[in-house]
Amino acid sequence: MARKTRVLAASGVALALGLTTAACGGGSDSDNKGSTSNGKSEFGAAITNVVNPSTTKGGTLNLWSSQDADSWDPARGYYAFVWNLNRLYTRKLVDYAAAPGQAGLKLQPDLAEAEPTISADKLTYTFKLRSGLKWDDGAPITSKDVKYGIERVWATDVISGGPYYLPNVLDQGQNYKGPYKDTAPDKLGLKTVTTPDDSTIVFKLAKPYSDFMYLLAMPGSGPVPQKRDTGAQYGSKPAASGPYMFSEIQPGKAAKWVRNPNWDPASDPIRKALPDAINLTITTNADDLDNRLLSGTADLDVGQTGVQAAARTKLLTDPTLKANADAPNTGFLRFADMTPVAPMDNADCRKAVIYAADPTAIQTARGGEFAGGDIGTSILPPNIAGSDANYDPYNRKQGKAQVDKAKEALAACGKPNGFDVTIAARNNRAAEVKTAEALQASLKVVGINAKIDQYDGATDSAIGGSPEIVKKRGYGIIITGWGADYPTGAGYMQPLADSRFITKNGNFNRSEIKDPAIDKLFDDAAAETDPAKAATIYTEINKKIMEGAYVLPFVVDKALNYRNPRLTNAYVHESFGMLDFQALGVSDGK
Amino acid sequence: MAGAIVVIFLILVAILAPVLTRLFGHPIDEYHTDKIDPTLGTPIGRLGGISWDFLFGVEPQSGRDIFSRILYGAQTSLSVAFLSAFVSTILGSVFGLMAGFLGGWVDATISRVMDFLLAFPQLLFAIALLSVLPDELFGLGDRWSRVLVLVGVIGFFGWPYIGRIVRGQTLSLREREFVEASRSLGARSGRILFRELLPNLAAPILVYTTLIIPTNILTEAALSFLGVGIPPPNPSWGGMLSDAVTFYQIDPMYMIIPGGVIFLTVLAFNLFGDGLRDALDPKAR
Amino acid sequence: MLAYLIRRLINAVITLLVVTAVTFGIFFAIPKAIGSDPALLYIGKQSDPAAIAGISAKMGFDDPIVVQYGKFLKGIVAGRDYANGPDVTHCPAPCLGYSFATDQEVTPLLLEDLPVTLSLALGAAVLWVILGVATGVLSALRRGTFVDRAAMTTALAGVSLPIYFTGLLASAIFVYWLEWLPQGNYVPFTENPGEWFTSLILPWITLAFLFAATYARLTRANMLETLGEDYVRTARAKGLRERTVIGKHALRSGLTPLVTVFGLDLGALLGGAVLTESVFNLRGLGYQALTAIRQSDLPIILGVTLIAAFFIVFANLVVDLVYGWIDPRVRLA
Repeated sequence: MARKTRVLAASGVALALGLTTAACGGGSDSDNKGSTSNGKSEFGAAITNVVNPSTTKGGTLNLWSSQDADSWDPARGYYAFVWNLNRLYTRKLVDYAAAPGQAGLKLQPDLAEAEPTISADKLTYTFKLRSGLKWDDGAPITSKDVKYGIERVWATDVISGGPYYLPNVLDQGQNYKGPYKDTAPDKLGLKTVTTPDDSTIVFKLAKPYSDFMYLLAMPGSGPVPQKRDTGAQYGSKPAASGPYMFSEIQPGKAAKWVRNPNWDPASDPIRKALPDAINLTITTNADDLDNRLLSGTADLDVGQTGVQAAARTKLLTDPTLKANADAPNTGFLRFADMTPVAPMDNADCRKAVIYAADPTAIQTARGGEFAGGDIGTSILPPNIAGSDANYDPYNRKQGKAQVDKAKEALAACGKPNGFDVTIAARNNRAAEVKTAEALQASLKVVGINAKIDQYDGATDSAIGGSPEIVKKRGYGIIITGWGADYPTGAGYMQPLADSRFITKNGNFNRSEIKDPAIDKLFDDAAAETDPAKAATIYTEINKKIMEGAYVLPFVVDKALNYRNPRLTNAYVHESFGMLDFQALGVSDGK
Repeated sequence: MAGAIVVIFLILVAILAPVLTRLFGHPIDEYHTDKIDPTLGTPIGRLGGISWDFLFGVEPQSGRDIFSRILYGAQTSLSVAFLSAFVSTILGSVFGLMAGFLGGWVDATISRVMDFLLAFPQLLFAIALLSVLPDELFGLGDRWSRVLVLVGVIGFFGWPYIGRIVRGQTLSLREREFVEASRSLGARSGRILFRELLPNLAAPILVYTTLIIPTNILTEAALSFLGVGIPPPNPSWGGMLSDAVTFYQIDPMYMIIPGGVIFLTVLAFNLFGDGLRDALDPKAR
Repeated sequence: MLAYLIRRLINAVITLLVVTAVTFGIFFAIPKAIGSDPALLYIGKQSDPAAIAGISAKMGFDDPIVVQYGKFLKGIVAGRDYANGPDVTHCPAPCLGYSFATDQEVTPLLLEDLPVTLSLALGAAVLWVILGVATGVLSALRRGTFVDRAAMTTALAGVSLPIYFTGLLASAIFVYWLEWLPQGNYVPFTENPGEWFTSLILPWITLAFLFAATYARLTRANMLETLGEDYVRTARAKGLRERTVIGKHALRSGLTPLVTVFGLDLGALLGGAVLTESVFNLRGLGYQALTAIRQSDLPIILGVTLIAAFFIVFANLVVDLVYGWIDPRVRLA
C-alpha cells in the first residue's frame, strides 16, 4: 500500500451486507460475556472478550503514538488508527458495531435512524437521518452536510491521500470535479446523490453493488458542514459530529479531545463516550513509548503495530505484563507478488520460489510468532469470509523449505540449475528489507540467484505500483503487504487479482493476474447478496490465485500490543485489527 | 608503531575475509534460525550467542554469523575509506597545486569553490544525494556500484581539506630560494611543478591522506547507519549498528561488536597517521 | 570595515543561492529523470490520473525547474499563496514551501525544531570548550607526564569513537542498566527547565566528548607551539611570573586558532546534528531532515539544507570578524 502503515482489515464468516440493528445494540455489556470468568485479564483476552466492562464515566484517556496521523480530515486520513480515532469525532450514515469478534463487522445505523430503504432493483438507497443531530457548534447536522462531505472525496487536487472508492461507484460519467469547482450555487452538484429534504439522502447506483454500504462507513463518507470547510486546511480543525471534539491539534506533537456538548447520547447507539478528555501524545521515541506503557503512565499505543523488541522481551517473559497484552491479527497479509517479468512469467518457476522460501526464517525475520505473525498459506487471511485456515496448497505450515519440490518445479520450468531474479523491497520498511534478505538466502539454496533492489518507499505507487517501471527494472518479486479497506473478499482480493484493476500507477495487482475466470467470479460475488454464497465464491478465487502461484504468502500479520490495566471496555475491533478506541474508559477516574 | 601493525592486520583481514570465513565462520548470508529464540528474536545463549562455532555470536532475527559479517564489513569499509581518500587526494592535490602555483583568478576561483564546499551541510547533503541515486549504476552489482557512489560522494566532499593544505604549502614553497633559483635558471612551469614542488609536497599530502582515512571510515559507517550506505544484505559495520538500535537493550553484544570494531579500526588509523606525521614532519609536534 | 562587511554579506548570499540551487536541482531534477513524479507523494494510494494531474497543476510541478526555483525564491522573499480549495492560504515570507508528507508549511515546522537543535548544540558547545581547552592546556603544561599521556590517549580514543556508538552505549548504560537518567523525549526549556536539562544531559555529554577530544588535541598543539615561541621565552626571561606568561601571552595566542574551529563546528551543528539527534530521538532540524529524506519530502530537505548552510556561512562571517578583534595581526580589508 502506498503510504499506509496499516489499512483496515476485517474478518467474519456470516457477513451481513445489510444492516443489523437489535442484535448488537451498541455492544452493551450484557451482550458480551465480560472478560474471563474470574474477571482477570489474560493474554489475548481482549481479542474475543470485553476486558473490564464498565460504564463508569470520567477521567482522561492518555493515548500515545510514535507516528502522527496522516490527516485528521476524515476524507484524507488513511491510516487504520486514524480511521479508528475518527469514530470519536466523525459519525457516518452507518458505522461498525461496537463489539468484539465477528459482531463488530456488522454495520449499524449511526446518523441514519434505520437501515436504508433499498429499491427492488437494488439501485436506489434512501436514508433517513435521526432527528436532533447537532454539530459541536450547535448547528443541525443535515443530509446536505452528508452529501457535501461525500462530494469532497471527488476534489482530489485538494483532498488528497484518502480512499477513492465512491467516485468509481457514484460518478457515473458526470465527471464531477468536487465542491470547490462546483458551478452549482449550493455546491451540491453531484447528480447521483440527492437530498429531497434536510433529513433524507438518496443514492442512485448504476448497477447493484453488494459492498456499497461499506463505502459509506468510511470516515470520508461522514458529514462536513460546508461553511466550516477550509479545504486543504480542514484537517487542522475538523468539525465534530461524534461525542468528542478537538480542543487542540499540534501537528507532529499532540491532539486533544474534549466532550462535545452538543452530542446527544440518546441519538448514538454505538459510542460509549466514557472519558471526559482524550489526549494523544506523539513521540519520536518508540522505546520511550513502550516504557511508558509498561510503567502505566501511558494507556495505549494507538498505532497498535506492536511494541519494540526490548519491550517484547519484557512482555513475553513477565506473566503479569503478559496478562495485559494481546497479539491480534492486524488484518494484514505480508506476501510477495510474482510479476510477469521472465522467468517469473512461468508458473513452475513461481512454484519453485514458493517451495524454496523458508517459512520459518521469514517469519523470524519479521519478528516471530507474536510480533511477526503466523505462517501464511494463501492470499486470503483467515479472518475474511471464505478463507479456510486449513487450506495450505504449498504445505508451508510445517515450517521448512522444500528443496526437493523446488528443484522439481525448477526442472518443470526448464531451469534445473536455477535462474536470476530481482527482489524489490521498499527502503523505508525495515521488515520488508529483512524479509527480502531471508528470501534471498533461502532461494540461493536451490540455485535461484536473487538480487535485492531497495526502492523509494515514499513513491511506491509509481515504482512497485507501475507495471511499466516494474518491467523496466526487471522486478520479478515484489515484497508487499495488504489489508482490506472493508471486510469482504472483494474488498480484500479484488485490487490484488482482478485484471480490470491493473492501473498505470498505484497498481496493486502487481502479479498482473489476468484470468477471465477470476474476473468473472468477482462479478458474480458483487451481484450476490447472500454473504454465505459470496464467501464460497471468494474461496474459489483464493484457490485460483494460489494454483496459479502468483503470490508467495509470508505471514498473517500480528502485532503484540500492551494495554494499561486501568483501561475499561477494552476489546479488539475486528474491522480495525486493534482495540476499539471509542469504547475505552479508565477505571480510576483520573 | 602499534597503529601500523593493527592497520596492516586489518588490511590483511579484509583481503583474506573469504578464506578466514571458510576457516572460522559461516557464509555471510546463511540463516541459522535454530540459534534464535523464535518468539523473542534474540540469540540463544549468553553474550549474543558467542560460542566456538560463532566467534562473535549471531545476528538477532536471522542467526547469521556476526564474525564473518564483520570480516566482509571490513572489506567494504576499508575499500570505501581508501578509495575516497585517494579521490580526495588527487582532486585536492591537483586543485591545490593549481591554485597555489598559478595564483590570480585560478586561485580565486578554486579557493571560492573550496569555501563553498566547506560551507555545505555535507552529511545532510550526502544522505540526501545517496537516497535519491538509484542503486544500480554503470551495470555494476548493487554492492560495488554503491561503493563507487559512496567513494564519489565522500571523496568529493573531502578534497577541499587536502586542497587547502596543498595550496598553502605551494604558496610558501613558491617563494623559497630553490624554486626561485630554478625559475631564474629558466626552468619551465611543468618542470618546477613536478621536479621542485611535488617532491616537497609529498610528505604533507601523504600525512593528510592517512589522516582522512579514519574520518572516511566513520563517515561511511555513519551513512550506512542512517540507511543510505551499503545496502543489505551486504554486510557493513554501520548497517549492523543500525540494526542493533532495536536490540541494544536486550542483546548488547550486537551493538558492542561492530561499534568496538569501528572504534579500534579508526583508532589504529589515527595512531598510524599521527605517527607518520611525527616521523615526516617533526615540527608539527 | 563597512565595505568589507558588505562584500562578505554579498558573498554569503551568493553562497546560499548556490547551495539552494544545487539542492533544488538535485531533488527536483533527479526524481524527474528516473521517472518519479512528486505529485505521487501527495496522492497516497490513489491512482486516478486526473487526481495526479490536478495535484501537479496545483503545486506547479508541471512548470520547468527554473520557474519552480524562481517561485521558491520568491516565496522566501515575498511569501507565497497556495490554493486550499475554497480559498487560498497565504504562506508568509520567509516561506520555504509546503511539506508533502505532513501537509504543513515548512517554515513554522522548522522553527519548531530549531530550539531543540539550538539547545543541543549550545549546551554541548559550553561543555566541550571548557573540557577540551582545560585538558589541552593542562596537557601542554605537564608535557610528557603521566597526566599528559593519559589525557592524550583519552582524546585520541575520543576522536576515534563514532557518536552513533557512544550514544547507544551511553543510553544502554545510564538509562537502561543504571537507570540514572530518564529515557527521553525533549522537553522545552520554557515548559520545565529541570526536565529540559535531564532530557539533554546525555546527548550533550556524548556530543561534547567527541568535540572535547578534538579541542584538547588542538589546544595542546597550539599551546606547545606558542610556548616555544620567542616572545614567550622573552617574557619568561624578563622574569615575569609563570602565571602571567601563560595566562596573558601563551593562552591568548594559543587559543586564537581555536576560535575559527569553534565557529565552524558550532555553525555546522546548528544546521542539525543529524547523528546525535537520530540516536537520541531528538526532534531537531537534523532529525526532521532525516525523516524528510526517508519520505522524499523535498521542501523540508530543501528548507533544512538552506538553514544549515545559513548557519555555516554566518558562522564563517562571525569567526572572521571576531578573529580580527582578538588577533590584532589580522587586519580586515
